[in-house]
Amino acid sequence: MLSAIRPLLALAVIALFVSPVGAADKIRVVATIPDLKALTEEVGGKLVDVETLARGTQNAHELEIRPSLMVKLRRADILVENGLELDSWAEVAVQGANNPNIVRGAPGRVDVSRGIQVLEVPSTRVDRSMGDVHPLGNPHYSLDPGMAPVITQNIVDALGRFAPDHRVEFEKNRQAFLARLDEAMARWTRAMEPLKGARVVVYHPQWIYLLSRFGLSQAATLEDRPGIPASPAHLTRVIRQMKEERIKVIIVEPWNDLKLANRIADEAGAKAVVLASMVGGVKGADSYIGAIDHNVNALVTAMK
Amino acid sequence: MRALALIVISMCTALGPAVAAAQDAAELRKQIEQLQNQLESVTERLKRLEAQPPPAPTAPAGAPGSPGVAAPPPASTPPSAMDLARPRQPFGLYQQRGSGQLLFDMGIAGDFVGNVTQRNVERAGGGTFARQENRFFPREVELSLFGQIDPYASAVVRFEAGEETRGAETTVHLAEAYLTLLTLPYGTQARLGQMRNRFGYSNEVHEHDLSWVDRPNVMRNFFGAEGLQEKGVELTLVPDLPFYIEALAGIFTDDRNRSTILGWELRYKYRPDSWLHPLVTLTGEWLYSLRKADVGVDVDGDGAIDRVDKRQRDHSGAYAGLEVQPFRRWAGGFRYDWSQYPTNPGWEWAIEPYVTFWPSEFLRFRLAYKHTDRSPQTRDAVNLNGSSARNVDELFFQASFILGAHPAHPF
Repeated sequence: MLSAIRPLLALAVIALFVSPVGAADKIRVVATIPDLKALTEEVGGKLVDVETLARGTQNAHELEIRPSLMVKLRRADILVENGLELDSWAEVAVQGANNPNIVRGAPGRVDVSRGIQVLEVPSTRVDRSMGDVHPLGNPHYSLDPGMAPVITQNIVDALGRFAPDHRVEFEKNRQAFLARLDEAMARWTRAMEPLKGARVVVYHPQWIYLLSRFGLSQAATLEDRPGIPASPAHLTRVIRQMKEERIKVIIVEPWNDLKLANRIADEAGAKAVVLASMVGGVKGADSYIGAIDHNVNALVTAMK
Repeated sequence: MRALALIVISMCTALGPAVAAAQDAAELRKQIEQLQNQLESVTERLKRLEAQPPPAPTAPAGAPGSPGVAAPPPASTPPSAMDLARPRQPFGLYQQRGSGQLLFDMGIAGDFVGNVTQRNVERAGGGTFARQENRFFPREVELSLFGQIDPYASAVVRFEAGEETRGAETTVHLAEAYLTLLTLPYGTQARLGQMRNRFGYSNEVHEHDLSWVDRPNVMRNFFGAEGLQEKGVELTLVPDLPFYIEALAGIFTDDRNRSTILGWELRYKYRPDSWLHPLVTLTGEWLYSLRKADVGVDVDGDGAIDRVDKRQRDHSGAYAGLEVQPFRRWAGGFRYDWSQYPTNPGWEWAIEPYVTFWPSEFLRFRLAYKHTDRSPQTRDAVNLNGSSARNVDELFFQASFILGAHPAHPF
């Protein structure tokens, strides 16, 4: 028995002496997706050290769980997750991190979807014949800048629970960020005003929040059903619909098959435009406001 | 609502004769007509509501240009009399969300295997799926229940059913049942119960999740067809270091012979940025078994065993696999096996190319060919029932599916 546990004791002693330094005085936060990292940095300012599990160019629905993710989670004080089953893969990484701060139900585990008015919540029975449906509703709410106040409020609450002495500072940071966001929102609204009522085709149905915010609507998806690759018959129907309705744009995520989208766009006389599905998804979309800026500008340019 | 209105009318009708003596008949008729009108109005409204399509998603709260705090979700309304009266399915998991949800996840995984091999291999029972040669059979149908017990622990329970030998009835057994204590201090976790030991990648993975149709030869030779499953306690430590290392120690009740097994493992995945799947996966394990075995010794040379000695039998085995997945739904690869036997003399090698097709994430088909070559010293699977299984050629077909929730595996 003792011989079996001896290596564990040795590792524990090593860990005591080789504990990481440098971020000791900061709150260590891990966000599952880059959007939440960016918003946590806005709220936390210099008091937080934030890392993300997914990169902006990745598909946040499916993430390969690697040891490097567990290293990040091992030392986290707070885990900020998107919820609505978008990032449920994070649970596997949490289980491998042995960190009681962030296990499900712990105060350090924050689901920022709380208070979000979720769209596309199924009102009928759903099953997998409908593809990779989200039974709790569409989880891509962070693409709508109008949701940032709710998300950042949840982040303030989480950081405030961990460091109550700094709650006022977190709230001050949040208000400063929301003021900048307000200015940007006025700019985006002006830019998108001429596109109101326009219909677009999306590769994967994750843009409903952004489209609804600016008065656009989704006409069709290139995927047959969410997560299910398109059949030739489905693509033919989409091309016909795009021609009939004179749809000018196909919205593509960085992880989608751009060649396929370009081919369909060419046949339908439209343009395929890659938007940042998360912060860092495309070049230049390095902040939350920067990512929305890119998406708005790309849409406006493509639909001219 | 319609039922409620009918009840009201019935009550009024029943009370009518008693009241009629004191009231004008015309007044009563008028009231009845009013109620009938109300009933027709309610019925009409109900029909209209039922004929309407499901409500479209509402636009996010907050006017454009002002990212004001989104309105809280509408409060749920209590069910109406019609809701209560409407017939319901006795068991519809996905119809009820929120407070009516199950408090844990459940899923079923099915794994069916077909194999074709030479007649002599079938007679010798020396195929990869011994005594199931030239058959299509349910190898493993697994029911998994898993979730949080409370804030401090989670649990997993799995039942497996399968057909283990030709003609045998399908058996059901408890494959795993363990709880994990999640909130222990100093980066530790404890797992208690019956579990697949975390000894290498392929041992922990269940049959339907394997990257190949069958478990690698070395795992089957050293741990049996089912792999290493034990009852006991497992303690893990993940120290707070700049790199990931997990130390694991366990105490198990083992019904088999005592032995020490050392293992080395390598797993490498290359996934180009923004790809939905890995392009290349390399996997390999090497096991070294240190075992004292009972060996009969013929001292006087008369052919009879005079005494049994304990002798050291150190044997090893390994496998290496390469998989390339250029398309999301298709992958191809091969595995090379080389393995001695834990106590018996001899060794075997095998090569197994395969191709996998996933119509979706939850459905998979696999086709594989396996050639196995056993050394002349191999006692197992040669000259059984007058047949030999020294050179084995097999064609495998596998169909696997997942229903409901399925816990993900790391790496």
